Amino acid sequence: MKKKLFFVSLILLIFVSFSQVSFSQLAPNVVRSETLIANILTGRVVSPDNFNVWTTAWRTPDRGIQQLMLEPLWIVDPATGKVINALAATAPQYSKDFKSLTIKLRAGCYWSDGVEITADDLIYHIELAKSNSAMAYHASFQEVDKITKIDKYTVKIDLKEPNARFHTYFLDRWGACRPLPKHIFEKQKDPVSFNFNPPVSSGPYVLHSYDPGGYWVLWQRREDWQRTPTGKLFGRPQPKYVLFYYAGPTEKQVLALNNNQLDMADLTMEGLRSVLQTNKYARAYMKDYPYIVNVDPCITGIYFNTAKAPYNNKEVRWALTLAIDIVEYLATAFDGAATMGSLLVPPTPAYTKWYYEPLESWLKNFTITVDGQKFKVFDPDAPMRLAEYARKRGYNVPNDPKTIRQIFGIGWFKYAPDVAEKLLIKNGFKRDKDGKWLLPDGKPWKMTILAHTNPAHPDFRNGFAASQQWKKFGIDVEVVTTEQRPTLLQNGDFDACSDWPATEPWGGHPDLYRTFNSWRSEYVRPIGEITFGHPSRWSSKAMDKIIEQLANTDWNSVKVRTLGMEGLKIAFSEMAGIPTCSYPGIACYNEYYWTNYPTQENAYCIPYHHWPNFKYMLPFLKPTGRK
Amino acid sequence: MSVLKDLLRDGKFRLGFIIICIILFLGILSFFSPYDPTRWNVVPRDLPPSLQHILGTNSQGQDVFWQLTFAIRNSLTIAIIAASFSRIIAIIVGLIAGYRGGRVDRVLMGINDSFLVLPLLPILILISSLIKGRLSFVTLGLILSAFGWSWDARVIRSQILSLRERDFTYTAILSGSKTMSLVFKEYFPFVIPIVFSTLINNMSWAIGMEITLAILGLTNLEIPTLGTMLQWALSYQAMLLGLWWWLFTPVITSVFLFVSLYLLSVSISEYLDPRTRIQRIRVIKE
Amino acid sequence: MLRRYLIPRFLQYLLVIFVGVTIVFFVPRLTPVDPVQQMISTIMKMGTYLDPKAVEQMTESLKELYGLKGSLFEQYLAFWQRLFKGDFGPSLFRFPIPVIKLIGDSLPWTVGLLTVSTFLSWIIGNILGGIVGFYYEKRWARVIESIAMFIRPIPYYVFALIILVVFAYLLKWFPLGGGMPIGVRPSFSITFILELFRYAFLPLLSMVVLGVAVTLQTMRLIVSNIVKEDFVVYARAGGVKKRLIAFKYVIRNAMLPQVTNLALSMGQIFSGALITEIVFSYPGMGTLLYNAIATGDFNLIMGIATLSIIGISTFILFIDLLYPLFDPRVRYR
Repeated sequence: MKKKLFFVSLILLIFVSFSQVSFSQLAPNVVRSETLIANILTGRVVSPDNFNVWTTAWRTPDRGIQQLMLEPLWIVDPATGKVINALAATAPQYSKDFKSLTIKLRAGCYWSDGVEITADDLIYHIELAKSNSAMAYHASFQEVDKITKIDKYTVKIDLKEPNARFHTYFLDRWGACRPLPKHIFEKQKDPVSFNFNPPVSSGPYVLHSYDPGGYWVLWQRREDWQRTPTGKLFGRPQPKYVLFYYAGPTEKQVLALNNNQLDMADLTMEGLRSVLQTNKYARAYMKDYPYIVNVDPCITGIYFNTAKAPYNNKEVRWALTLAIDIVEYLATAFDGAATMGSLLVPPTPAYTKWYYEPLESWLKNFTITVDGQKFKVFDPDAPMRLAEYARKRGYNVPNDPKTIRQIFGIGWFKYAPDVAEKLLIKNGFKRDKDGKWLLPDGKPWKMTILAHTNPAHPDFRNGFAASQQWKKFGIDVEVVTTEQRPTLLQNGDFDACSDWPATEPWGGHPDLYRTFNSWRSEYVRPIGEITFGHPSRWSSKAMDKIIEQLANTDWNSVKVRTLGMEGLKIAFSEMAGIPTCSYPGIACYNEYYWTNYPTQENAYCIPYHHWPNFKYMLPFLKPTGRK
Repeated sequence: MSVLKDLLRDGKFRLGFIIICIILFLGILSFFSPYDPTRWNVVPRDLPPSLQHILGTNSQGQDVFWQLTFAIRNSLTIAIIAASFSRIIAIIVGLIAGYRGGRVDRVLMGINDSFLVLPLLPILILISSLIKGRLSFVTLGLILSAFGWSWDARVIRSQILSLRERDFTYTAILSGSKTMSLVFKEYFPFVIPIVFSTLINNMSWAIGMEITLAILGLTNLEIPTLGTMLQWALSYQAMLLGLWWWLFTPVITSVFLFVSLYLLSVSISEYLDPRTRIQRIRVIKE
Repeated sequence: MLRRYLIPRFLQYLLVIFVGVTIVFFVPRLTPVDPVQQMISTIMKMGTYLDPKAVEQMTESLKELYGLKGSLFEQYLAFWQRLFKGDFGPSLFRFPIPVIKLIGDSLPWTVGLLTVSTFLSWIIGNILGGIVGFYYEKRWARVIESIAMFIRPIPYYVFALIILVVFAYLLKWFPLGGGMPIGVRPSFSITFILELFRYAFLPLLSMVVLGVAVTLQTMRLIVSNIVKEDFVVYARAGGVKKRLIAFKYVIRNAMLPQVTNLALSMGQIFSGALITEIVFSYPGMGTLLYNAIATGDFNLIMGIATLSIIGISTFILFIDLLYPLFDPRVRYR
């Protein structure tokens, strides 16, 4: 018995002594205070030894590959609303007919193995992708007719057809065609099965080590960080090491944040509340309620399968919209912490300036006709009601209407179940004796909403919130969460969905071509066939015209915004989808080891550690000196 | 009635019986619930237990107590469907295969093993995605029963195999008993304890599977069961936010549910075993 | 004996594998999931810009690459052809990494964790269950039994989470997750192996505790039934020593069903322990398979399922052949 006791205590002693090591010292020679630890958003890396992200396959790019290892030509920053020239020295120069463009690369940028990044890399990459069908952008680069090297840093691309947005394939948001090292890839027999290990970086960090189990990747700052765009543009990235570490489901990320074993994570509202309660060094993007990231360039909401009755009827879609009480909706979904948006662009500060403010009076005066009477649909007071709700919940909300509108948005559709009822009755719907709605053919109205499978995802919350609103209105709604959603959506096998009601724009640029283009009528296929545009299958002739005009407009010209407004008005009045709020991202920072993260007060960069802009955030961080 | 009286003499049975009666009563209460279990925001959120809300309210604005009554009803239904259907299949297959042996045994065990070798959780995940997440609890019970019998059929068969080699089988055959009556008279009493022990195993397995599938988000999250209640509590971080009443209600309920079932079945199988029955009566008489 | 028992038994073994693999081939293909759509949507969802026209072309070329052109039956034949060469094809979602490589990355973790936990819980559970069943009238036996009775029904996710919070978060004795220490390259040094064990400890603990409770309960029931049987009663009456009775008569008889159970749980190893992997962030087959199903990675699903099916049926075959060793009354027929 004594022997056993001795043995057990010995084991415990070993464990305890090991665990002591792991706090100040992350790994041999890796000091915790010199390391920034961020969560891997998309989870465990399944092929951790493969760093070749240039094929058409998932390689978990957010484990540091896109944030630290690679530099794009251009990158958009939704927080500042600017496009940054990274590996490119200037914006692309198109010819007048948009049949060719010239790309100028930044001189003096080097791969981490000492080879300079030149026009040859870009030319080789485009030609390789064009000829190999398993490479990413293979289909897109079929547009390329000829590619010529003007000088060491300049490339001219001739296109088969005019395209004023060709450069957007190289414009990084959360994925883009980022140049690959020619001198490595040209030696490979098969560039597709090549696993690019150890990787060579164009970005400011190189691989230190990785977990064969796929839970972490450790990156080390390059000695020659000055020879990268990050170094040239913003200076020295502060952390000597960056660890990307998948902590697990939200509850485990919370535990890791509380233990100071994690510095940055993308949480849920509940998770954040729990961290704020426990860890006094933690903060979110906003210092106080509603805490959310208000620069996330996605608009969330609900859209319908507009090829399917009764959702093919614009008035039915309007009725369903007016049956939503946005305050209750946002309370159900996010405890009120969200910025409401009524247009199909995200209400970030940049897009509010570009679109919401110029269109505000148009929105206020917009009417729909019900039973011969005009009804104004816009409710500018909705943000005040939401603020009232938040106060009741005990949150600290400012009283100034202007600030409230900055936080919660400029307004939303009125909650008008009576108008909705009239619209439905007009279209032949009836209520049965229990008050449940019947379709015009007399059958009970049953609707399913396809929602995301992850309960932490805003899309999941949106689905359940909408279902609650319409249940209250008398419709039999069921929320279905399934991994097969992408297939079901593209095939048109659904009623409604809580995915993005409109394709997201570039994020930090007023051009809405990307949003509108997916509504082009030529992409719409009948139900049962795969559609390539937006799954809602909504299209309109007027919108087609706008898209056509936009396609032939330089994306930096002033006309882009006028066309954008016209397009948004069409989508709004046709009720192409119900926008509810911008993506209420919750960026949680731990300020124990590092401070000066981008925040609402100091919005110098998109605050997410999983966006490729992360490398441009690192030079601004400040070590606290805590051990 | 006298059986129940006999059984109630056993302390284990009494305890199990009381617990199960309380749980069943809670399940029945769901029919009188003032709230629709699929509606949110019917009561204020995040309230700790009080007189008004005995078990508090959750972050969805639902009353935890009334949610629980629905969860018990639905979870019990799943468990009963799954366990009883799979028991019937398992007993038939196990008895026949074990007694007849030879070719019949091989064919039956071939089918049995094909079911057994399918990796269960992946198959269940696949099937639940096959029906597009519209997994109602009755279908779930039936699916679970289709995959829950093969293991126990094998256990029963192996028991019969060893029984078959015993002397009383030969005696019975020599004395001219018919197969079926032999199987049921001679073997059934030996199989009964296994059936009961596997019945609990199977019910807890069914509820466990339901909880697993719910935690993975593969069942219909709008139908309250012990699994989906737990899933909502976990995904709203009830544990970390200190909403213990929400998280521990389904956990403690399922623990008590299984403890009571276990006690009942142990006690019943002892009662059914003729030798211990005599013992008990003797003890009582003494 | 060979002709009468072994050959039919072996044929049955092959048949079981064939039927099982066929079911797993067709079930995922009957779901509406389309791996090409899942892939494209993942890329686009994350923000990559693809022109819808390009998507149309990409769909076609991906179908070809993934080997999804041609009828179901043709794909089925191609699958068997590949399988006989020992090739499961490339992963679809992670094209062109071979499935066998992905499995090879995850399998060692799972085999290490689950073999140990299965054996440990089987051995401890049977010993405890045997003792508790044999001395079922003793007070301490009842205490052990009731502990098992209360631990077993705790939903595993919650149980694992509590263990994690207590030992990794509050006491900080063990890491919060992962399979090996950060920033270290794998080696065969003693420190590294000790570290591996430290990372595996909590997942192991959670699985063993629940596993022991389950085995204990079954074993206790079986043993307490045997104890009341005539031959044991006679043996007792005849003055045979208690220890001898326990080992010679009781335990031996009780082992038969328990050995079957062991074989079955050993076989389940290949599909991993999904929830354990999620809670403890432990690498392994569970999350690999779950991802494969979610993304419609048919080849990967098939690879794992086939291995799993072969694994379980082989274990069952072994146990059937070994039966007479455990219970001499059973002879091959």
